[in-house]
Amino acid sequence: MQHYDIVIIGGGPAGLAAAIKASGQAKVLLIEREQRLGGILKQCIHDGFGVVRFGEKLSGPEYADRFVKELAKTNVEVALFSFVTNVRRADMFELTYVCENGVKNVTCDKIILATGCRERTKNGIFIQGDRCSGVYTAGAAQNLVNILGVMPGRRTVILGSGDIGLIMARRLTLEGAKVLGVYEAKPTPSGLTRNIHQCLHDFDIPLHLSKTVTRVFGRDRLEKVEISDVDDKMRPIAGTEQIVECDTLILAVGLIPENEIANDLSVKLDYKTKGAFVDQNCQTLTDNVYACGNALHVNDLVDYVSESGEIAGVNACKHNGERKLTNISVSGKIMYVVPQMLDVNSDLDKVVMYFRASDDLGNQRLTITSNGETVFTKRYLKLLPPEMERIVVDFSKASNLNNITVTLEDA
Amino acid sequence: MNLTKTVNRVYKIYGVKVNAVQDERSVILSGECNDWQTIVKIGKMFVDKKSGKHVVNDIKLSGYTEQPPMLPSVCDKSLDKTQWDVVVIGGGISGCSVARELSKYKLKVLLVEKHSDVAHGASGANDGMVHAGIDLKHQCKKLHYGVKGNAMYQQVCSDLGVEFERAGQYVVFSSKFIQLLGRSYLSRAKKHNIPNVKMIGKKEICNIEPQVKDYAVGALKIPSTGAVSPYKLTIAYAENAQQNGVTVSLNTAVLSLEHNDKEITSVVTNRGTFTSKCVINCAGVFADKIAEMAGDRYFSIHPRKGVDLLMDPKGKGLPTNAISLAPTLKTLKQNKNTKGGGIIKTVDGNILLGPNAHEVPEREDTTTAMSDVNEVFEKQNKCCPSLQRGNIIAYFAGVRASTYEEDFIIERSRKISNLIHVAGIQSPGLTAAPAFSVDVAEMTVELLKSRGETVEKNANYNPKRIAPVIAKNLEESELDKLITDNPDYGKIICRCEQISLGEIKQAINNPLGVATIDGVKRRVRAGMGRCQGGFCMPMVLKTIADELKVDIKDVNKCDNGSYIAIGNIKEI
Amino acid sequence: MDMVCIVCPNGCRLTVENNNGEISVAGAKCKRGEAFAKTELTCPTRSITSSVRTTVSDYPVVSVRTDGEIPKDKIFELIAILSKFTLDKKVPIGTILIKNVCGTEVNVITTTEMY
Repeated sequence: MQHYDIVIIGGGPAGLAAAIKASGQAKVLLIEREQRLGGILKQCIHDGFGVVRFGEKLSGPEYADRFVKELAKTNVEVALFSFVTNVRRADMFELTYVCENGVKNVTCDKIILATGCRERTKNGIFIQGDRCSGVYTAGAAQNLVNILGVMPGRRTVILGSGDIGLIMARRLTLEGAKVLGVYEAKPTPSGLTRNIHQCLHDFDIPLHLSKTVTRVFGRDRLEKVEISDVDDKMRPIAGTEQIVECDTLILAVGLIPENEIANDLSVKLDYKTKGAFVDQNCQTLTDNVYACGNALHVNDLVDYVSESGEIAGVNACKHNGERKLTNISVSGKIMYVVPQMLDVNSDLDKVVMYFRASDDLGNQRLTITSNGETVFTKRYLKLLPPEMERIVVDFSKASNLNNITVTLEDA
Repeated sequence: MNLTKTVNRVYKIYGVKVNAVQDERSVILSGECNDWQTIVKIGKMFVDKKSGKHVVNDIKLSGYTEQPPMLPSVCDKSLDKTQWDVVVIGGGISGCSVARELSKYKLKVLLVEKHSDVAHGASGANDGMVHAGIDLKHQCKKLHYGVKGNAMYQQVCSDLGVEFERAGQYVVFSSKFIQLLGRSYLSRAKKHNIPNVKMIGKKEICNIEPQVKDYAVGALKIPSTGAVSPYKLTIAYAENAQQNGVTVSLNTAVLSLEHNDKEITSVVTNRGTFTSKCVINCAGVFADKIAEMAGDRYFSIHPRKGVDLLMDPKGKGLPTNAISLAPTLKTLKQNKNTKGGGIIKTVDGNILLGPNAHEVPEREDTTTAMSDVNEVFEKQNKCCPSLQRGNIIAYFAGVRASTYEEDFIIERSRKISNLIHVAGIQSPGLTAAPAFSVDVAEMTVELLKSRGETVEKNANYNPKRIAPVIAKNLEESELDKLITDNPDYGKIICRCEQISLGEIKQAINNPLGVATIDGVKRRVRAGMGRCQGGFCMPMVLKTIADELKVDIKDVNKCDNGSYIAIGNIKEI
Repeated sequence: MDMVCIVCPNGCRLTVENNNGEISVAGAKCKRGEAFAKTELTCPTRSITSSVRTTVSDYPVVSVRTDGEIPKDKIFELIAILSKFTLDKKVPIGTILIKNVCGTEVNVITTTEMY
């Protein structure tokens, strides 16, 4: 059985970055389930990728291609169209995957999970009614248009103002479809503000807040949808229903980290991020299993996806000793913080942390304390839940690391 | 039955003026009422087990016009002027099993189904439980065929290459009192010849199914309950029938039956008019409509909708066995027509919750409502408190074809000499099909013989269907060999259910020629998992178009008109 | 007036004032934001991404973008040109397909490597 130091599962932006960083220092196998590397970026043909990393406005395929070409220069082995069917933990890890050459078994010391995320579906948000065609997740619609080159329909309603929904609104409009409106159950938009502007405002596409699709109608193909107002808990309000005639409904109603393999390995997951609990090295609570990218938590910028892949890749190469983990707790208006743990026994001077505010907030102060002692503080004029924030914190100077708390409060 | 008395009682209870007349076979009701539930309840009041007369309920729902039935969009002459020995109307479990049993004889058999695939109705939207028959009343056809059919399952599924598991079922008691009442099941099981039913204690049930430990006092163990995929079995029956010479014509709807009050002289469809020596009515929720077309309407179908919820098999807090909560006197009183559903483990490892039961005026109303989802979930959550709402990945509705007598009608028409009815096939119809289909085939042979026909055995009949490969279930070495022979089996397309390109191609090229997204989904499960086809649907779509060499815009989700794409970009 | 900078995902909220042709911008985290605000006020431009048909197997379409920004009012003119374009061979990523599109001195380039 072939043995590797590291097996990376997933050849999207996180896995590619992890593989490049780990190459040269370890024997690495990258397993990708699709025919080509790049993950979901292959179908994200809009631009805006890599502004942080490359200072350029690249499209998704271009961003991915830079990493793919970089990877080609390394000695990383790549298994394409290969699907991991089983992961077992013995003295080391044993993996089984299938590919067009048959069933393969390999062993490795460390695993990096870069499996990305999946979309919430029509049923996940309890849309009722008929079982007609014409209802797509935004990702499926994006694949139809950008990979297969076919149009899903003519008159479109989009539910969810997440970035993919907004981008699809523009994309379909440019291809000649009529986008009747984007509906969002939350009282505030879910996507990046720039996308509201360049995807909706530029094309006069209306955005309707605090409204959701409750029912679809159509015997064969979608004919109309029922839209309802929602209350402050996002529950539909009876009596507010209105009917919109359309042939297409696109759902951009959220992404969920894909953690099937993590579950097989009994990796402990954070119910808030729906990804693994990790330390600052992207190592999960299961020793030698790392998680990065959207499998760890859903990012809004690919640059940060790559960054967490790099963190995982660099650290998986290190022969770290016994970990000493301490919890990072949150208080105040914070949705979540990643990492959720700190390994006191490894590098502490440049800890990259990501957080999201739980609300639209103005004039806030973020403070990180350890045992009551302030380690880091920063003021924010504006924070929005859809826009993830990144900070780099130096924990090395703190006298005694425990009771670490991240607090967000009015400045 | 004294009709006037019942009419008066109806007026007293509901304030509805009903007109009731009777003929040799049925009581026929007319009138008007503004509530459908009341109309159904009134219909039930005229059921008379003693006389054996059926209820034909024509009481109109005020202000309501029945939706026209869904009809195929194709219109050709492909069946025009053809001549058949037997025509089976309806491609559900009844029609397909009957067609397969008929294929044992040297007969020219045609099965017509109006949708683009078989198992489109209730046979495709039920929980797949193979019932033991514990809750059925004595001396009904449901019980007779249910118990008999259950015993045949192992053989039938092995012949047809369909997965079947007899994992048993547990009816859980939540109080000592209900447990005491539950003892009546034991004597009933004995009377009905249901094997090995026994009471087990709290400790044992909690051991078997820890999720019930907080409330269970004991359980009834019914080992003969099984599970099958209802649509896979229906498809398998149809494929085996076809393999043995039956012609299966999809997208074919019976529009009328020409008759002379003695026999059906010709069958009019959207694909031409043809003749048949015998017609078998397996039309499900439309069985009374077909009977009416033949001039032999003596029963009514009142559609009863049920919704099932499908749970993410990878979710937490799921039970590992089929369990249901024993009914209390209160729940029994509330709903006499359903056991109240339960939690079922499917052969594919999914957990299904359901179904509920609601009378609906619309025969093809397969819509779901939030209230259905809530009702089913809350009910089964009592049975298994650890269930999580967030793990619901799909829900679907099926419509049961119930008669007012709530029993199967499996008999030759008394009026039309070449017609056989297989009607009112509701739960446990799936369980009963292997048994009643044998009887219906014999009935058909008798019918043909009585008309002076000679019927021979089909010497080439082969009961075995070549089942499609399920790569996931293969041993590693077998799978490896399969992939070496055909690399497509190593290319995983549906990641949630681990379905390969090879399996998808095999499904696309199925013997019935059903090349739709749903057709592939039901044959190999691509798109059945937690992402519900979000990832694999475009690949399946492309593969169908490539295999059939058609344009992507001509590929449908299900019936004609359910297109996925309108055409190429830049060309719209 | 208030506007949102769309240059990068930061989406800075800008306050722009026009005092007789003298445009002042507040709220931008970088120089590019200032420049954006000024063009947005005078002649708004956008970079456009889309795709073109191909006759290459496995690639029904290939993704493209403009290598610079074009005036907003030329967007649909550009889309119409792309609709008529068919790529008939594999080309490396970044290949210029259409030069000086709509007379803007901006080119349309491919953004997918066709393996």
